[in-house]
Amino acid sequence: MAEQHTHAHAHHHGEKHTHISRGTYYRVFAALMVLMVLTVAAWWVEKNLIELPGWLAVTIAMSIAIAKTVLIVLYFMHVKISSRMTQVYAAGAFVWLIILFVITMGDYVARGWPPQAGPLP
Amino acid sequence: MATITHEEAHTHTHGPELQHQFETPEQQKEAATLGMWAFLVTEIMLFGGIFMAYIAYRWAFPEAWEESAALLNTPLATVNTVVLLVSSLTVALAVNAAEEGKKRRLVTMLVLTIVLGLTFLVIKGYEYSEKFAHCAGAKDPISWITGSDLHESHECLVPGRGFHFPAEHGSASGGHGAAKTATMQSGHQLFFLLYFSATGLHAIHMIIGLGVMTTILVMAVRDRFSPTYFTPVEIGGLYWHLIDIIWVFLFPLFYLV
Repeated sequence: MAEQHTHAHAHHHGEKHTHISRGTYYRVFAALMVLMVLTVAAWWVEKNLIELPGWLAVTIAMSIAIAKTVLIVLYFMHVKISSRMTQVYAAGAFVWLIILFVITMGDYVARGWPPQAGPLP
Repeated sequence: MATITHEEAHTHTHGPELQHQFETPEQQKEAATLGMWAFLVTEIMLFGGIFMAYIAYRWAFPEAWEESAALLNTPLATVNTVVLLVSSLTVALAVNAAEEGKKRRLVTMLVLTIVLGLTFLVIKGYEYSEKFAHCAGAKDPISWITGSDLHESHECLVPGRGFHFPAEHGSASGGHGAAKTATMQSGHQLFFLLYFSATGLHAIHMIIGLGVMTTILVMAVRDRFSPTYFTPVEIGGLYWHLIDIIWVFLFPLFYLV
């Protein structure tokens, strides 16, 4: 995937300069398109053909969205070939988001708000 | 690290873009990338607040969510998703072109990105104007502008005093445990409030992103980049991809409920 390309000339100071090839960008884009079609198809099937429980439909849609995000972050945003520090920052954002969601919803659910629970387990 | 002699030799080989507090172009680029990521984390948390509100209220009003989402224009949003994903590809290719020092390809890709960004905003603008036209009583934006058929629509999905959720689309006006009064319609109105806040904030980011891309385009035309210095293309691209990621979540959460 990420082909190594080492120039003989200056500017490199022994650090390997890695980069992502154009072929990889096209493949990632194709994967994103497939995922996009999948998420719309899943929605259409669920609306018109078979009734899925709400939590399952949400899980499918969110799994696809997360897969797309991982592809964009790793390849388009170069996190795959970035320094360890940048990778920690990128991962940190999502860790904080999870803390926000889990603690807030944990509180709502534990307090019994709203009076009747929603469809999610 | 580099030895003294290496570094001295180096000071003559780099371009004027290397600022004096950095030892090497790589170090400068690393600092810029890390700084951009720190900013992107704050952006993710900004949208995170809206997503948090979305989760809490979808939990509270599941039926209202389903009924409201049915009134959004999913085909147009699907087209917009494709437009944004393609623009992410063109940005990635622009960074690749800058890295390889291919000016012509860089300029082409940046222009394509700007065109795709504008396409997204035009489609989004049409979607918004549809909703506002309905509030004015018109059935679509065209008849709203021409002022004909002003009593065709009996719905108003823009949050506010005029909000009116069409009766044939929903029975659960308030959802679970909410006060069910004809004027409140809290669940539906909350959905559209979150819809306009989230997509509106996203559109503002698109406009800023277009400004960033235009600036980078001007810099590219003026030969400001080289294979050793293309940091603005790289971190401007990071911003654009972030906007794309936000849409990747907004699309299923609002249109594919």
